[in-house]
Amino acid sequence: MEINYKSIYYPPGGILIWIVIYLELFTFGMALLAMAYYGSLEREMFHESAQLLNKGIATANTVLLLTSGFFVARGVHFFKGKEWDKAGKFFNISMLFGLAFLLLKLVEYYQKLQAGLDMDHNLFFTFYWFLTAFHWLHVLTGVVILFFVRRSIVKKKENVLLEDVEAGASFWHLCDLIWLLLFPIIYLLF
Amino acid sequence: MKLTLNSTYLILLVLILLTALTATFANPTYMVPVIMGLSLLKFWTVAFQFMELKNGNVFWKVLIIAFGAFVGLVVILLL
Repeated sequence: MEINYKSIYYPPGGILIWIVIYLELFTFGMALLAMAYYGSLEREMFHESAQLLNKGIATANTVLLLTSGFFVARGVHFFKGKEWDKAGKFFNISMLFGLAFLLLKLVEYYQKLQAGLDMDHNLFFTFYWFLTAFHWLHVLTGVVILFFVRRSIVKKKENVLLEDVEAGASFWHLCDLIWLLLFPIIYLLF
Repeated sequence: MKLTLNSTYLILLVLILLTALTATFANPTYMVPVIMGLSLLKFWTVAFQFMELKNGNVFWKVLIIAFGAFVGLVVILLL
């Protein structure tokens, strides 16, 4: 049966995943606004702390995550075209980029901890650890979801529902959306 | 569709490059609005193209635009 995406009840991926997406965006959004507020009160401290972050790693991570999102979108495209193997392959590539993001972030965390920049260092780093670590967990969850979606596609092929594939992909893109707000505010603006 | 996804990806890479260049070379006065503007363009591009919100109901489209605009505007005003 064709899905009527124009209906308010059937956004691509289904209404439940979009409720989750907006709740997550709201949560991260409010935390980022709180960070911006406190940053406006203590500009010098936030500026000096932000200079201690590695913008190169953060930019590379942005490219990794968006590349991963691109491959997921292509995977969904092939799934719709009933090209199951290609869809599975693109989900695999996407997971690799997701894992690369997670590993690179761990390298960044290791560097910060070695430099003594833990959560208690100052308010900037409290926000930094809370927001990026919470996002890291979302990416990890996203990789697990992609793994199961990919497994279903390869094993069950036409018996997999399009809504399920789109919902899994939407969760992955949610990680992109959150990062696209975290990256400028935490790494670039202070 | 394939072409749209490829060109969307290319646009996102260009926006990342522009963000990095702005953060490195831009006048501090304009840095916050320009970087937030570029970031929101990426944000909406992912939502509309990769998540296919362009095919969805106007309610979901308005909500994502309003959310991004609200966060972006408050950050620009605060910083």
